[in-house]
Amino acid sequence: MTTTHHHAHHFASANDEFEAAKQGMWVFLVTEVLMFGGLFVAYGIFRGLYPDMFHEAHKFLAVNMGATNTLVLILSSITMVLAVTATQRGRRDRAVLFLVLTFLLAGCFLVVKYFEYAHKFHEGLLPGGYFVNQELKDPKAPLFFSLYFVMTGLHMVHVLVGMGLIAWLFRRTARGEFGPQYYTPVELVGFYWHFVDLVWIYLFPLLYLVG
Amino acid sequence: METQKPAQESHGHHHILSTEVALGVGFALLLLTGLTVWIAGVDLGRLNFLVALLVASVKAALVALFFMNLLYDRRENGVIFGTSFLFLAIFLVLTATDLFFRGDVAVKGPLTAFAQSKTAQPKVARPWVATPLLLSQGKMLYSQQCVACHGPEGKGDGPAAGSLTPAPRDFTRAGGWKNGRKPSQVFKTLVEGIPGSAMAPYGTLPAEDRWALAHFVLSLGEAPEADTDEDLLKVGIDVKGGGQVVQEAPSIPLEVAMRRLTRPEPRAAKVGAKIEAESAGGRLYLARCASCHGEAGEGAIARVSGTLDAVRLRTAPLSASQAVGSPAIFESIVSNGLPGLMPGLASLNGTQLSELREHVRKLVAAQQ
Ligand code: HEC
Ligand code: HEC
Repeated sequence: MTTTHHHAHHFASANDEFEAAKQGMWVFLVTEVLMFGGLFVAYGIFRGLYPDMFHEAHKFLAVNMGATNTLVLILSSITMVLAVTATQRGRRDRAVLFLVLTFLLAGCFLVVKYFEYAHKFHEGLLPGGYFVNQELKDPKAPLFFSLYFVMTGLHMVHVLVGMGLIAWLFRRTARGEFGPQYYTPVELVGFYWHFVDLVWIYLFPLLYLVG
Repeated sequence: METQKPAQESHGHHHILSTEVALGVGFALLLLTGLTVWIAGVDLGRLNFLVALLVASVKAALVALFFMNLLYDRRENGVIFGTSFLFLAIFLVLTATDLFFRGDVAVKGPLTAFAQSKTAQPKVARPWVATPLLLSQGKMLYSQQCVACHGPEGKGDGPAAGSLTPAPRDFTRAGGWKNGRKPSQVFKTLVEGIPGSAMAPYGTLPAEDRWALAHFVLSLGEAPEADTDEDLLKVGIDVKGGGQVVQEAPSIPLEVAMRRLTRPEPRAAKVGAKIEAESAGGRLYLARCASCHGEAGEGAIARVSGTLDAVRLRTAPLSASQAVGSPAIFESIVSNGLPGLMPGLASLNGTQLSELREHVRKLVAAQQ
């Protein structure tokens, strides 16, 4: 295992560098919680105001697709963990394999989302003023779809970013840049990826199941 | 399983999740997903929501503690991450308490204004004639009541305007006014609102305030045509007869508004027997009243009212209303509505009104 990383000179040791980077990641995730948090608060308030509308509108989401995507994301979280531990234990081939699997599962998520969005577009279940669906009569229903698209859309952007990061890890892992001595980026991208899963863990029941 | 030890010299005593634990946690997550989907199909009423949140939180905790290593991480990182949820909770709770305890104000606001308008002494003798005093009064009212839709300069571009179709009127342009641009016509708009648009009736404002608003919004554009005596007569002002107000805008008895103000938030009534709705009054009730008062008049039906800041109104059980006992008050409420609360049905004739009251009385009798 050839690990070529040298810690930056302003850190006393590689371990200090790792701990600082990790703490930085946690702080970043705090900002992420608060960004999604604003949307969850909006969801909570509007749900409180229009419980019946939420109930009617949520029936127009495809539970099976949402559930499939939940499973896909959880599986990808598992493969991500395995990629991280493989790197930490110096098992480079396994790390590469699990990174590829994680990437593919993320791709799966996007494909399902594509079909879901396409269906919503087709039915006219669109946000705000673009809403043209005839079946869902509640005048406030466009609001539900505004929330749906903004929340799942922002989440999807995170999935895309995550895929970029995983591809980058893949390249560096394949080159042998990570190993038991140095795996900070692998572990931290892992955190990010689990966070993306964590957001979906809430989005799925709130939007698809209980409306 | 894996035996290799982490390199102590680089990452310190960093905990490496064993593959068994990783797979175990993953399996638990998949099971819990199955559980949420299954339990959402079981009707638990309000509990469904709480159960879904609870299961999601257990899953989130598993992800954070094991996958994100928080269980083995330095304590301070857990504190940092935890704080974000604390702030999220503060955000949610403060917003929700503000919003959901506003209901009382929402119900009482229009009625208080109404009660004041009934008792306030007019300050100006001939409010249909624009004066600087009225204009400044109108400006003040405008900045409180109208600016959100019509915008600070009356261009119809207020913050709430974006979502409205039809869009709020641009007062700086002379074209496109549905009721016309004479002061009396704007006054009429303020009494009746524009049906089918976000422009609500402002009949709860004192007449003088409505005139003040009319003069003010007209001052934002080019000078309007003056009112003729006939125009003024149409809004109930007999100029030739010394400016007598010959007819009041339709309204409800003051005592009804006052009583409503002092009543606590309503709860639904218990309904004993089911009432036959096959009579004429019953059919009328189902068609025109049940959506707000409930099929049995049980009340507590939330109604979202007001276009600007959506507020929730709840109706009281009809048995709580003394109006049902008095034909005159009942008919006045049903034909004229309650300002800001309930739409009036001016089209009903005397027989229909008494049939309706008959049905409502039966509903009230069936309430315990
Ligand atoms: C909730 C948004 C909203 C508020 C608040 C509001 N308006 Fe309007 N107003 C509208 C809309 C929308 C229209 C256009 C209606 C249409 O074209 O059918 C309108 C139209 C009007 C018109 C033109 C009527 C006509 O003949 O075409 C007048 C006058 C007017 N508003 C005055 C006022 C005044 C005075 C206030 C404050 C007391 C006020 N509005 C508050 C939304 C609002
Ligand atoms: C758009 C909703 C709505 C509709 C439709 C409606 N009401 Fe109401 N009504 C209300 C509200 C809001 C109140 C005031 C809150 C309260 O007292 O419950 C009210 C109050 C009343 C009261 C009691 C007033 C008092 O305080 O004593 C009576 C009587 C009444 N309505 C009868 C009727 C009848 C009869 C119909 C059908 C012709 C009808 N309402 C249709 C919303 C509505």
